[in-house]
Amino acid sequence: MLAVDVTGDAVKAKNGSMVAYDGQMAFKKLSGGGEGIRGMVTRRLTGEQMTMMEVRGQGTCWLADRASEINLVQLHGDKLYVESSNLLATDAGLRTGTSFTGLRGATQGNGLFTTTVEGTGQAAITSDGPAVVLRVSPQYPLTVDPGAYVAHQGDVRQTFQSGVTFRTFMGEGGGEAFQIRFEGDGLVYVQPSERNTIAGDV
Amino acid sequence: MSRYGAPGGGPTVHDPMTLPVDDNVNSYTFCVELKGSQWFLQKGKMIAYYGSIDFNGIGHGRLDRLVRTSFHSPLHASDWVVAEGSGKMLLADRAFDVNSYDLDDGNLTIRSGNLLAFQPTLSLKQSIVPGFLTLIGTGKFVAASNGPVVFMEPPLRVDPQALVGWADCPSPCHHYDHGYMTGLMGGLRALTGLGGASGEEHQFEFVGAGTVLLQSTELLMAEQATGAVPHEPGVPGGGAGPGGQGGHGAQTGTPRLPGQLGDLQRRFGL
Repeated sequence: MLAVDVTGDAVKAKNGSMVAYDGQMAFKKLSGGGEGIRGMVTRRLTGEQMTMMEVRGQGTCWLADRASEINLVQLHGDKLYVESSNLLATDAGLRTGTSFTGLRGATQGNGLFTTTVEGTGQAAITSDGPAVVLRVSPQYPLTVDPGAYVAHQGDVRQTFQSGVTFRTFMGEGGGEAFQIRFEGDGLVYVQPSERNTIAGDV
Repeated sequence: MSRYGAPGGGPTVHDPMTLPVDDNVNSYTFCVELKGSQWFLQKGKMIAYYGSIDFNGIGHGRLDRLVRTSFHSPLHASDWVVAEGSGKMLLADRAFDVNSYDLDDGNLTIRSGNLLAFQPTLSLKQSIVPGFLTLIGTGKFVAASNGPVVFMEPPLRVDPQALVGWADCPSPCHHYDHGYMTGLMGGLRALTGLGGASGEEHQFEFVGAGTVLLQSTELLMAEQATGAVPHEPGVPGGGAGPGGQGGHGAQTGTPRLPGQLGDLQRRFGL
């Protein structure tokens, strides 16, 4: 559960995630997540749907989503890449958008596109179990299972690794046939649980 | 070092230097350090790693010798992989609690779905209790449980769903509350729940010296298919029993209760 103190300003949150509030609050659905017509069209086209609401007023608002763990991410002008299903709330000043992820998205079972959050402020992301934050630096690249990946931020290059060999087809695969390799400088959020992905069984 | 720090008490950021060596990162994530060494792990439980680590199926020819010395359940082979290389690797399982245990020339039997990883200095064998695996030797292994694990001393009786495993106990057996379950009324109670079936008429009983591991919920972890045991006379769960469950369904189904209707053909000796 996330407690948000609102003092006259606004917070963008996943539609329907409010569980309680005190003080004076107004909830307004943001069509297209406040990204304008272009954003709405992009989201519709990419299947990266996200319904957000704007919480404005005075007081404290408690947000929660299916009892999953909530992690706060501080952004200083950099970009956070997160699945729309894992994004719970952002400061109103943060811009959200959609970006292409390529093959990584396909193996995660989350589609080919992901949501980006940009600007300066805080964002709240949900994960199944508390997320482990792993640093990626030039001398320490990181490899992540697509099913456990939640989000990443910073200047990070991702490459997709496939360990599919003839053994995989003989049912003798290593169990980790698809992996994402992160290189560069940034942070990766990993959850202690794996979504069901096509890669889970090979 | 990097501009992505943890500002103002944010979440701890881990890198290969700060990650623990063969210890828990938090209650749900375990970190294993590999230095050219090998670990057995259940397929798909690796969530991330630093360094260069290879994952190979047990059937990999190069691993034959290792498998011969420490993996004695050929029928599980498809569920297990060997990780080797150097680096640090994070293990987790469906956000369940994860703990490591050290065995010192000992033995421990554990529900097959709960075992995540083990060092090759231990040898893994299929328990004669269907659905359980036995680890023998010296080394470290990692197991998951739904909620923290509680260690208990026999003699005691435990709920079948809460049992994770046991060490050094030679006598795990079933225990039924016969006084409550026998007779026509007992059968009706168990079948319909009318008249108050408490759901606790059946337990596992442990006596002797040893330790019993319990998890703090009765929610079972998904059973990992352990392969069928050979169809041989004298092998429990060898597929010869009624229903032919072929291995590890024994403690999941409702046991055939005395006084219960049904199985008429068996009564008449057919």
